[in-house]
Amino acid sequence: MRARAAAAAALASVGILAAGWQAGTHVVEAASVTTGAAGTTGASGTTGASGASGTGASGSGPGTSGSTSGSAGSSSGSQGSASSGALKNGTFTGAAEETRFGEVQVQIVVAGGKVTDVKALHLTDAERRSAMISATAAPILRSEVLQAQSANVDTVSGATVTSGAYLTSLQAALDAARA
Amino acid sequence: MTTALRSSHRPSRPPGHGPGAALAETLRDRGRRRLFRQDALTVLAWASGAAAVALYLADGGAAQFHSLSPALTAIGVVAGLIGTDLVLAMLLLAARITLIDRAIGHDRAMAVHGKLGKPALYLILAHMVFLLLGYGVADGLNPIAEGVSMWVNLPDMWLAFISIVLFLAVVVTSLVAVRRRFPYEFWYVVHLLTYAAVLTALPHQFSVGGLFADGQWQRWYWIAFYVLVLAALLRYRIWAPLALTFRHQLTVRRVVPAGDGAVNVELTGLRLEELAGSGGRFFIWRFLAPGLWWHHHPFSLSADPAAGRLRITVRNLGKGSASLMAVKPGTKVSVSGPYGLFGHAARTRPGLVLVGSGIGITPLRAILERAEFSPGHATVILRASTPGTLYLRDEIAELCRLRGATLYELVGHRARSGNAWLPRHQSGLGLTDYVGDLVDSDLYVCGPTAWAESVLADAKASGLSGEQLHRERFDW
Amino acid sequence: MQPGPEPQPAHAALATGAPPLLARTFLAMGTVVSLTVAFPPGAERGEAADRLEAASRVIEGDFEALEQRFSLYRDDSEASALARGVLRLAHASPEMRACYVEAVDWRRLTHGAFTAERPDGVLDLSGLVKGRAIAAAGRSLAALGLHDWCLNAGGDVLVSGTPSPSSAALASAPRGERPWLAGIADPADRRTLLGAYPLGGAPPSSDPSGSRRPATAGPRLALATSGSAERGDHIWAVGGGKPEFAQASVAGPDMVTADVLATAIVAGGRDMLNLAVAHWDVDVLAVTHDGELLATRGFRAPRAA
Repeated sequence: MRARAAAAAALASVGILAAGWQAGTHVVEAASVTTGAAGTTGASGTTGASGASGTGASGSGPGTSGSTSGSAGSSSGSQGSASSGALKNGTFTGAAEETRFGEVQVQIVVAGGKVTDVKALHLTDAERRSAMISATAAPILRSEVLQAQSANVDTVSGATVTSGAYLTSLQAALDAARA
Repeated sequence: MTTALRSSHRPSRPPGHGPGAALAETLRDRGRRRLFRQDALTVLAWASGAAAVALYLADGGAAQFHSLSPALTAIGVVAGLIGTDLVLAMLLLAARITLIDRAIGHDRAMAVHGKLGKPALYLILAHMVFLLLGYGVADGLNPIAEGVSMWVNLPDMWLAFISIVLFLAVVVTSLVAVRRRFPYEFWYVVHLLTYAAVLTALPHQFSVGGLFADGQWQRWYWIAFYVLVLAALLRYRIWAPLALTFRHQLTVRRVVPAGDGAVNVELTGLRLEELAGSGGRFFIWRFLAPGLWWHHHPFSLSADPAAGRLRITVRNLGKGSASLMAVKPGTKVSVSGPYGLFGHAARTRPGLVLVGSGIGITPLRAILERAEFSPGHATVILRASTPGTLYLRDEIAELCRLRGATLYELVGHRARSGNAWLPRHQSGLGLTDYVGDLVDSDLYVCGPTAWAESVLADAKASGLSGEQLHRERFDW
Repeated sequence: MQPGPEPQPAHAALATGAPPLLARTFLAMGTVVSLTVAFPPGAERGEAADRLEAASRVIEGDFEALEQRFSLYRDDSEASALARGVLRLAHASPEMRACYVEAVDWRRLTHGAFTAERPDGVLDLSGLVKGRAIAAAGRSLAALGLHDWCLNAGGDVLVSGTPSPSSAALASAPRGERPWLAGIADPADRRTLLGAYPLGGAPPSSDPSGSRRPATAGPRLALATSGSAERGDHIWAVGGGKPEFAQASVAGPDMVTADVLATAIVAGGRDMLNLAVAHWDVDVLAVTHDGELLATRGFRAPRAA
């Protein structure tokens, strides 16, 4: 019976570790990018607090919902600075930045030369949150879009048309009427 | 002087397929279920340790070993994760959770709890040392300067440093050698610091630890683990004793001598019949009198409750129980339990062998009173160095007579050779000489540690397996 | 809800024929650029036509200059030389390098959704150059003293002022100016409109429910629309999959921002859409391949109060 427990425990542990490892390999790429972005944040943190807010705000601002690290796969431009920066331990608070959702301020925690935590300050205000949510793009019905007849608009925006396709476009009709 | 006394005639063996066969089957099934619970807990414990490491791996931890500083940091983080996992597991083991008690018994849970203490401390110390080294290399500072820098500059780190000092204090005072130099009271108060150590270690994990930063799913696992432990402690360490105490309203009725240096404490209370049938399982008692109330005592009932009264038998074993000898009638008593596997629930075989020494005899009486066995299939061996310490001897002899159990009273100084648990003159004998159907019996042992080890060694040598051996530890 | 303009005023203006709208078109960057200028009711038509003609020629020159340097469709352009490997970026013109730096900045800001490199590694700044060309043309028009105009280059729109300017004396309140109403083409059928968006005029104000108006909500002068089907290889989804959106329209304060974000949203999908509305002062209307719409408030019709 003890052998049964030992075998099951070993099996469960190895399984859990393997799952963690597997999950980790997917994160590594994103993590290296995060480190890169964090590196620039921290580096500017040492040179001046005002710089910290720039990168920080774009890294962890409202509405980016965590997926930003995934899509940041190719933002290698900022990665070089990660290794060079000898960051001091401490918390660094960036300058408050006025955004369309009100004041956003970013605080980072640096431990052992790495940014270990990023906190957005001044974002807990419920009013600002709701403003933020209402400003986000949400699914709507076609009938809810500001309607207009083609005769009423002054110009037409659309995916770029070639000069050939222009001839059959609404814009061409408008231009012709005003020639 | 030595007496070997048979107070009951050993009847002839009943046929193999008697009423004992059904009992054997029930007991075997019960034993299997308990072993399954044991194994499940073992697996769970290991899995939680693996999960703590997996949290880090899932965050890309495996990629940290490319150079010195991140590798040191990674080792530090993993040590902290496993160490904290162990600390939380220790708290769960000490929480007197019913599930754990039913599977391995509270006494064994506490033994495991004790064994985990040092590894947990070493891991937490390693957590600090490796992170100071790793961060130090990254910052170009020596570990001491790095520690100062972290204390000064990082949020909650000063609490973490206090926490590690507290952990150190708790583990050091728990070491047997150190523990003996201080009164129990001192050790107990220091042990309560565990909670302070766990709490002060908490903030830095979430504010400095990148793994548990806001937005990481690992943060939720970790919070859930802490909440689980807290809930278990509240439910089983606080709520359960309060509820039981208020339900039974126990009060000391009288204290009467019961042999050399021992007393019977008789208690009155409400609904005491609900406490019947606990067998040799123990309750944790607190006598709510000045100087006594914060000292808890594990005692089993020495007789099944009857007529609104119950009884425990206390021997003067230390300062704590010495003061109990003088407890005044009318003292209110808080109680929780029963705990442990030293009862009927642990039975796996139709036969029953009870071996007790000194004050360890008293729980055996309660088992004997209620245990299921067919007449002739139970043996009671009482061991004492002098006849005066054969506690409850008369009551046990009467019970043996009523229920058809064989009783041996072995009095005399310990043997120096052979089976050390026996008196000197019987040292050439063994359990098999006293019990005919030993291999088909459960063996209950209660008494001083070294003596009990000797009994168990004899039993194992006689072919009994681990599941048949039941031992009450009085030394935790 | 912003007090969005009703289509009626435009119709009324056309009916009375009061302010003449004159337009000129020319070919540039593989598409047709049209410049529409609005003149006050009292303006003399012949003079207005001359001013439009002159302005049109100036901005045609602006486009031509940029195209000469940046077009990959011209073998003699600097961009083609770079693409062929004849020229290295380090030795390229300051203008080329400045444009590249800006592209890299945008790539970082959009977390990689906007990129100046095609998957085959060729440097392709066309996603940025058109926006820069329209913006440059806008500056030229302002320098020429034109106030009320609408510039449309292959579906990307930059405006100034209003399509119905009144004579200065009659201007009762600046907020009363009618904005340019830009229709948004339906990606499924380019000859029908999904809806419209008011450009210029009064900036869309925040909802009347009382929440503070964001300090940086500026006027919407530019509107860019990108589609995943356009020009075949123009936009690549991040990660190589099929783009989530068939089309994305972004209205913002300046042309380059609107153009880059529209491209980035088609390439980056919903994550990029969320990023864009969180960090830039823009309105977005995105169309999925199933024809579903996602929109910010600015694209919604004002509800009856």
